[in-house]
Amino acid sequence: MLCQHCQKNEATTHVKTMVNGKYAEYRLCPECAHELGYDSMFTDFSTDFGGLLSSFFSNALPAISGATHCDTCGSTLNDIKRTGKVGCADCYDTFFSELMPTIRNVHGNTEHKGKHPGVIEYTVNEDEQKADNNASSKDKLGALRAELKEAIEKENFERAAQLRDEIKGLEG
Amino acid sequence: MSEAIVSTRIRLARNLKEYPFPIRLSADKAREVVDKVGEALKDCAIKFHRIDLSNIPDTIRVAMIERHLVSPDFISEQDGRAVYLSDDNTVSIMVNEEDHIRLQVIKDGFELKEAYALADQIDNILSKKLNFAFHERLGYLTQCPTNLGTGMRASVMLHLPALRMSGVVNRIGANLSKLGLTMRGLYGESSKPSGAFYQLSNQVTLGISEKAAIDNLQNITTQLIAQEMRSRENLLDDIEAQDKIHRALGILKSAMLMDHSEAMRLLSLVRLGVSEKKLESLSTDTIDRLIVEIQPASIMTRFGDDMSPRDRDIKRAEILRDRFN
Repeated sequence: MLCQHCQKNEATTHVKTMVNGKYAEYRLCPECAHELGYDSMFTDFSTDFGGLLSSFFSNALPAISGATHCDTCGSTLNDIKRTGKVGCADCYDTFFSELMPTIRNVHGNTEHKGKHPGVIEYTVNEDEQKADNNASSKDKLGALRAELKEAIEKENFERAAQLRDEIKGLEG
Repeated sequence: MSEAIVSTRIRLARNLKEYPFPIRLSADKAREVVDKVGEALKDCAIKFHRIDLSNIPDTIRVAMIERHLVSPDFISEQDGRAVYLSDDNTVSIMVNEEDHIRLQVIKDGFELKEAYALADQIDNILSKKLNFAFHERLGYLTQCPTNLGTGMRASVMLHLPALRMSGVVNRIGANLSKLGLTMRGLYGESSKPSGAFYQLSNQVTLGISEKAAIDNLQNITTQLIAQEMRSRENLLDDIEAQDKIHRALGILKSAMLMDHSEAMRLLSLVRLGVSEKKLESLSTDTIDRLIVEIQPASIMTRFGDDMSPRDRDIKRAEILRDRFN
């Protein structure tokens, strides 16, 4: 079979890769494989995952917030779409509404559960089951919601209003 | 547990709040991040040594991938990237890969909880000195949204020759994704399964706690291994399968040229024979060490950077003959 790139030499290299989220196979001659960067021992490791994710982004991201760029790092929404990578921690606030649909697509969830930095909440070890049982209630939002429910059930509406505001604050 | 579980890994992704993510980080700032992480690690009881990627030859970089100490992505650029390794290579901390910090704990066998406990402990020490980017709703902030939340990837390396031979492995893939898990080849991401070795890991990191993700992985791994063991029983009653295993050993004992993929295929068969007690006087540990030793860059770091593929095939055959005779 002839090389699919130059159409001249015999193809010796079989390349399987992902391009923009689509599976692709090429047969290349040694020269073209070299030129296209498919000849090194690193080839097996190469991934085009960034490309895959960026195609995910472009489908899911309408501009909503109206922010043109992130003040901290200078990333634009287009930069993020193109690379599939977010520029800095503040981008998540700047482009929150644009990023949310993608995040929901990827994880099926939009609320963190688990560890907070510097908070030694629980351990995964079985001998500390008790700590584990507390873990979910230590999840601040969860705890507040439970308390809110209780307050409503007890008709303690003043406390319930307080809790509701606190939860709103946390949810951003 | 079963010898079908080769190793366990926990990886945590963390970023420093006051620096842009690596994609927007200048080389100077990147080096600052490397220094800061090194400074924070001094409080740790485990001693780490620092390796700057730009200071080591290509073959050593690749050899580190072959040992699962760094990721393939990590060595694609060198400037401003460094890895901190513990003396026993159990812990590796990549700085400025996709995130500022990729903390990894790797252990032999099925040790998810132990590996997490160690990663968690080091993470706590780091977080005393470093200000991690964290969002009340989204959890730990990462350069790629696929790692948001816990930033934790837990994985087990499995040897599933019987499920592979019966073709079941291919059908499992689709079901795993429904369970929030993913299965990949030996070196992760897009790498092809080599010698029936697979990495099973959690896919989802947001909305599921570390503990729940680990329990889920543990549970599914246990089921998958039980299935592998059942398939092995049927398989190994078969004289043809036994013949394959013994032939594999025969070739490993006498071949003069051995390319990488043939070696992986044969070692996989012999590993199956060893763990099912069909081949005495060998251990799976020996095989697992050989699997690393016969990788291309590992051969080159030992026997010379300028080896051609042919030279490596000769050397690989020699190493294998030595070990099996």
